[in-house]
Amino acid sequence: MAVSWRSWLANEGGKHLCLLLWLSWNVLLFWKTFLLYNQGPEYYYIHQMLGLGLCLSRASAAVLNLNCSFILLPMCRTLLAYLRGSQKVSSRRTRRLLDKSRTFHITCGVTICIFSGVHVAAHLVNALKFSVNFRQDMIELNAARYQDEDPRKLLFTTIPGLTGVSMVLVLFLMVTASTYAIRLSNYNIFWYTHNLFFVFYMLLVLHVSGGLLKYQTNLDTHPPGCLTINGTHPQTTLSADFLTEHPHVSFPGGFSRADEFPQNNLMKICMEEPRFQAHFPQTWLWISGPLCLYCAERLYRCIRSNKPVTIISVTSHPADVMEIQMVKENFKARPGQYIILHCPSVSAFENHPFTLTMNDFEICCFLHPVKIQRFCPLFILESIPGSTLMVHLEVHLRSH
Amino acid sequence: MGQIEWAMWANEQALASGLILITGGIVATAGLFTQWYFGAYSIAAGVFVCLLEYPRGKRKKGSTMERCGQKHMTKVVKMLGPLSRNYYVRAFLHLGLSVPAGFLLATILGTACLFIASTIYLLAAFRGEQWIPIESKPKERPQVGTTIKQPPSNPPPRPPAEARKKPSEAEAEEGAAGGPTGGPQVNPVPVTDEVV
Repeated sequence: MAVSWRSWLANEGGKHLCLLLWLSWNVLLFWKTFLLYNQGPEYYYIHQMLGLGLCLSRASAAVLNLNCSFILLPMCRTLLAYLRGSQKVSSRRTRRLLDKSRTFHITCGVTICIFSGVHVAAHLVNALKFSVNFRQDMIELNAARYQDEDPRKLLFTTIPGLTGVSMVLVLFLMVTASTYAIRLSNYNIFWYTHNLFFVFYMLLVLHVSGGLLKYQTNLDTHPPGCLTINGTHPQTTLSADFLTEHPHVSFPGGFSRADEFPQNNLMKICMEEPRFQAHFPQTWLWISGPLCLYCAERLYRCIRSNKPVTIISVTSHPADVMEIQMVKENFKARPGQYIILHCPSVSAFENHPFTLTMNDFEICCFLHPVKIQRFCPLFILESIPGSTLMVHLEVHLRSH
Repeated sequence: MGQIEWAMWANEQALASGLILITGGIVATAGLFTQWYFGAYSIAAGVFVCLLEYPRGKRKKGSTMERCGQKHMTKVVKMLGPLSRNYYVRAFLHLGLSVPAGFLLATILGTACLFIASTIYLLAAFRGEQWIPIESKPKERPQVGTTIKQPPSNPPPRPPAEARKKPSEAEAEEGAAGGPTGGPQVNPVPVTDEVV
């Protein structure tokens, strides 16, 4: 029993610890953001207008920021393969953890889907509330331009609304093509729709630049819920004349004059109208790093795969198996690697993975034509030993 | 690109759209939007679409992964005959179902998603794809006599099963399995077992 517990810890412990840390970070972000918008004084007026929808939409947005940032990191396969293979990371546990990168990517993806659902639902309710709770004195805080403006107009005529709808549609295409059944049967649909991630990120950058969400900047001169004198605040309006004519009017709390209010009483006098300012888009800070890293990695992979490959030999084996030996400059095959073969003269769109056999100086792979009906026989015809065929090879490390 | 079965993707999309319609409908009805009855319609339409799309169709080549418990819905959907088989019917049905949900803010995304699914179904129908139900084949009862195998007559290390078999047995196995032609594999290149 003790041995199995220790071996579980050694094998699975790292993975579960990382999962726990990631989960805690998500929960903390969600909770902190929820409380900030629920209780923060700078969001007092907008919270009055929108209610729970504001807190849910902002909290889910914070979780989305984290996951949209993290989801790109496990896909930097060249970097991960370098870390995994280098002498710096010699611990078997770390290597085993790095092998779980694809699972982590899927976990972040599922989280993005769930919290996008929460975020969209909350914002739809917010759009309705903006329209219904329109007030003339809070016109700069409101996304609606007049009372009872059609919420659908708010959705389609504002930058955050339009980019939000587009992002949902892109996410819909990506997610429906990523199910196990589709990946198994039509891998190309999955691959090409998943590359729409770039469109998703560009829309995300625009989505947060809309500046619809504002916070109050002058909390010291206008504490939320204060009394305005000669103001047009509908809740608590007193005029200076009223105070001079009725010096002993009783205020809430039993005070007879306004200047007897204690400092911590909410009913303070407002010095000026509330002023609002849009937030700096935090999302840009979250996603810029991983996005740049991933783009750099894709560029590097593209450049690396464009070097020509020379075919040394093509051998026919029983059971319709072909062995192809290739040589590529500055490349040494290592165990666990697989290649993605792309031959433009055979097919401009098809990329097919093949496992490499162990061979120090050459790339050797076995093609099973039964598996990929059209591609393999055509590729074999194109493969003349000694020729330099334009073949793009992307080398990857197999992970589970 | 030539071998892609679009109907499979359209099926996943339609199922997801059904769920989005149900969610939007719940938000609209619970949030008491004006014209909340569109929300109620959206829930009903979403449930119908989910039930119709739950049984996955059979792929032209290879085996198809069934969804959990789809046997029951397969029987119901099969009863609709050409209405369920033909993808043109599905495309226009989804297009029609999506329109009323577009009038309400909460369900407008469901409309957009179902519209995309309808377009992909149209493409699948154009390419001649059809919904074929996945039917489970009756299991062949194994003859008790033939399943009992004799223990190996020679001690280890033993060559693979194909080399050990007598010629008559080998022929019978081949006929059943359709395996590789004749005897054990002869490697053109000498193979050494490098144990690291």
